This record gives sequence, structure tokens and C-alpha cells, in this order.
Amino acid sequence: MDDSPPPPPPEESTPPPPPQTHTGSPTDFLKGVVGKRVIVRLNSGVDYRGILSCLDGYMNIAMEQTEEHVNGKVTNRYGDAFIRGNNVLYISAAEAL
Amino acid sequence: MDPSSSGIQEPFDLIRLSLSERVFVKLRGDREMTGILHAYDGHMNLILSDVEETIMIVDTESPEAQGTVSVRKHEVFGLIPLQYLVLQVAKRKMEMLFVRGDGVILVSPPSR
Repeated sequence: MDDSPPPPPPEESTPPPPPQTHTGSPTDFLKGVVGKRVIVRLNSGVDYRGILSCLDGYMNIAMEQTEEHVNGKVTNRYGDAFIRGNNVLYISAAEAL
Repeated sequence: MDPSSSGIQEPFDLIRLSLSERVFVKLRGDREMTGILHAYDGHMNLILSDVEETIMIVDTESPEAQGTVSVRKHEVFGLIPLQYLVLQVAKRKMEMLFVRGDGVILVSPPSR
């Protein structure tokens, strides 16, 4: 038993880490856009443009100075808005990070 | 952590600061309502009082919609210019209301 060969070294099966020039994880992106102008698109196709105040793990979103856009037209304005996370399709940065 | 002047750390702070205030709520199914917010929870279940609900009824009698069957409302919005949509609006009032959280799209507190 003692003279049995040691097990072979583990294969390099783990996925390679992202390259160091990578711009970051989705979480890094979300941290980066807090306080910036964003476009939030909902599954319904409605867009909300405004300043991202904060968000949480459910992707619930608080926004300021929000404009609701439907088919390219402003349909509502909100000083503050809470968007329930399940409705969110994407969050797009509307200014340089 | 939060650079904005409002000083909220998480989205639910916005709702917490709106307790006892009149809020605007946008719901699934082309419904909107305003009411005084009495309570909420993590699902966004809401207790509202003095509620006025507005229901947008999308009429698909427009030329583009003729002959189309069971087109979903948000697809109608996407395909047909708004001027062709005949919007009928129904309103109703309720004294006290429980709103199930999964229907909530957006909550907006009164502008401060």
C-alpha cells in the first residue's frame, strides 16, 4: 500500500480565470453605476431613465429624477421611484462610468 | 456608501420613508393606483387606504388590430402607434386595500 504510486496531479479542469483586462463582474458593474444616469428596461418594454440611487439583491431599484418612456415618448415623471426587481430586463449605463 | 443627497441605503428605504404618505403604485395588467401607505413587507405586499384605482382598457378596434386574435396588450403597444389605440379608462375607489406584492411594478412616493 505504501509503495503505491501517488495519485496523478489533478487535471486543469477548472475554467480559466477571466483575463485581467476584464472590466469586472456584473456586481462590479452595478456598484459602478450607483449614483449615475441609467436606463432600466422592464420586461414589458417600458424604459425608466434616471439616476440610480441604489439596488438590492433582488434587483429592486430606487431611482431619482425618473422619466418613464413608452415607445420613445415620456409618459410619466417621478421624483423618486421604487421598481420591483422581478420586472427588470436590463440596466444600462447612460453615462461614462 | 450612498452618494446621493437622499441618504437611502437600500431600495426599501424609499418605501419606509413613504409610510403614512400618499403613494403612486403601478401594477401589472395596466392598472395604477394612489393611496395612503399603511404597511408593506419584503414581497412589496402593500396595505393602502383611501385608494383610487385607474384601469387602462386597451381597445383593439384600430385598423391594425382588425383580424388579430388574442394579442397581448403590451404587444399591441409595441406594434401599433399610440394614436390608433382607443384608451378607455375606468376608475374606482376603495377604502382599504391589500395589494399582493407580485403585481407591483413601481411605487413612487410623493415628491418631496
